[in-house]
Amino acid sequence: MRITVKLIGGLAHRFGAGEREQEVPPGTTAGDLLAALGISDPRTVITTRNGWGIAPEEEVAEGDRILVSPPFSGG
Amino acid sequence: MHGWTGQMLRVDLTTRTWRRETFTEEWALTWIGGRGFAVKILYDELRPGIDPLGPDNKLVVAVGPISGISAPNTGKTVVAAKSPITGGYGDGNLGTRVTEKLRKAGFDALVVEGRAESPTLLYIDDTTVEFLPADEIWGKGTYETNDWIYARYGKGAGVLNIGQAGENLVRYAVIRSMEGRAGGRPGMGAVMGSKLLKAIVVKGSQPIPQAFPAEMKTLGRDDMRTVHALDQKAAWSKQGTTGVLPWCNEVAALPVNNFRQTHHPEAWRVDGERLAAATVAVYGCPNCTMQCGLAMLDTERRESELDYENMGLLGPNLGLFDITQVATLNYMCDDYGIDTISGGGVLGFYADAVERGAAPGDIRFGDFEGFRRVLTAIAQRDGEIGNTLAEGTLRAARTFGHNSEEYAMQCKGLEVSAYNCKFIPGMALAFGVSPIGAHHKESWIISYEIQQTPRESYGRDKAQKVVDLQRIRGGMFEAIVSCRFPWVEIGWGLEHYPEYFNTITGRDWELEDFWPSADRIYALIKLFWLREYPDTDRKADYPPHAWFDPTNADTEGPIAGKILEYARYDELLQHYYDIRGYDHRGIPTRETLERLGLAAEARVAEEYAPLS
Ligand code: SF4
Repeated sequence: MRITVKLIGGLAHRFGAGEREQEVPPGTTAGDLLAALGISDPRTVITTRNGWGIAPEEEVAEGDRILVSPPFSGG
Repeated sequence: MHGWTGQMLRVDLTTRTWRRETFTEEWALTWIGGRGFAVKILYDELRPGIDPLGPDNKLVVAVGPISGISAPNTGKTVVAAKSPITGGYGDGNLGTRVTEKLRKAGFDALVVEGRAESPTLLYIDDTTVEFLPADEIWGKGTYETNDWIYARYGKGAGVLNIGQAGENLVRYAVIRSMEGRAGGRPGMGAVMGSKLLKAIVVKGSQPIPQAFPAEMKTLGRDDMRTVHALDQKAAWSKQGTTGVLPWCNEVAALPVNNFRQTHHPEAWRVDGERLAAATVAVYGCPNCTMQCGLAMLDTERRESELDYENMGLLGPNLGLFDITQVATLNYMCDDYGIDTISGGGVLGFYADAVERGAAPGDIRFGDFEGFRRVLTAIAQRDGEIGNTLAEGTLRAARTFGHNSEEYAMQCKGLEVSAYNCKFIPGMALAFGVSPIGAHHKESWIISYEIQQTPRESYGRDKAQKVVDLQRIRGGMFEAIVSCRFPWVEIGWGLEHYPEYFNTITGRDWELEDFWPSADRIYALIKLFWLREYPDTDRKADYPPHAWFDPTNADTEGPIAGKILEYARYDELLQHYYDIRGYDHRGIPTRETLERLGLAAEARVAEEYAPLS
């Protein structure tokens, strides 16, 4: 399945800016995506799917847009 | 006493006199500093009902026990007064060398009273206070004013000043510092202007009293290095707070066109990546280890320091997606001394009101030149529109009529910061119960809410989280007076703050020991409001109507068709009151006040309104 992954804030500078479309096998979880990026502890980032929060164990689906953000907690 | 100088400076601009006053250690431990000192002084000394722009109002400049010491990001100062825009308690913090210099001159607070006869510069050092003429800089913007002051007093002096907006009593004029941008959103700059006080210059050379200065020096130096390294690793300061903009856009929380929409396909053009790429200089508050003042060139090739709030509110909220144009409006706000959040909120509201036929004019969203003209008119209070908008969105809406109050994006009269809460109940509550009117600094619950809770829930856990964050942010950080960003942005542990506090004061506090003071400060702010508005009720803690209006729901995107519900918000608000020990109006009960050591303050409040 094809999904879109976008990293923002400091993560864009650390792991490469911008968004990328990528092919993932069925059953891939949000946690798998993070691990593939080198983020082993999902609690260190904020992850959303199509604008809603997604837990690490949740599976992504065709066409999902996954946003990974630093753990900011406010200006 | 260690940790505080034990002195405050009281200045009367009318009589051109000043005196040193002392306070006890018990008083210091009760109110800690910064906002705590400010609300206690203003509650005790201001008669309810005074004109916030009259000589009876007082301006308090207050630091806290860890302000100005060599530790991460301690260069902040609180400025406070009765607010001209809300009529309640108002304050804000800003980075400035005044923080360190005021303490080194021997003071933890400055109280400015009365009104000068002519434009005045207040000069303070270890031994004297001078009332100097400021006619030469009256009418000038904050950049020119600051240059003029630096040329005379040197770049090492602590400086607070106002621009034309403060002089012209724009109700959301701020106080400016070149080392930390601006502070005092609820019109603290207008309070200075009403006193004909153009600038405050502070020099000081005495040591800050500390229980263990050598230990603090080592601890502070090591921690500054560590926080700096953490920031480098996280790359947070590459974009500063603007890193959050694409996230807000993605989760439908960005203000677009006066908060009518929550996201926009062009938002990427004004995001942190674009700012990082355009950055030509980086500035920060004194003692900062992760400087977030990212400056880029505006359309006139002037350096303009941007952050998320001004990017959101002077950009997408006005239908503008050209980052250099946003930088220009931001530069103008900074130079005039207009709060960028309220400035963007007011301009967006005006464009909306014109588009809906409620206000005269031809401004449209996306009209950069038009916004430039209106902003200048506001700062100068030029013409009917400039004058009306200089009063803020709520008063302007009442002037325009045609139900425009329904889309005036404010709480208690203060414009909402750049988080669109059409469907974010907890963050809407955070704005509603912010003690100075809508402000994100008190309780930024939004990322917790989206990531860790069902977004649609109005559960008690969200109210508890708002209280927890208020205690840390609006309670502890605003009282010890230190920048919260090392904690909120790169995870610097809260346990470090009692460690600094103890090393400086010689006490043995745990983190939890700050919470009674934090709760006391919030409760006294509530009493301040109650005296000003004795008929107040829980509706004062409601966010803008537009977030509850089904016709205002998004028609596409993540929250299409969704909007807040009044009945459920009211339940959430009740949870907040229950946790805090407030009554059905949102006022602390007598029992709560007594528990917080505010029995005497409660008796004073009861002369104006009943307590439960
Ligand atoms: S992080 Fe930003 S706001 Fe905080 S002290 Fe540094 S420059 Fe100032």
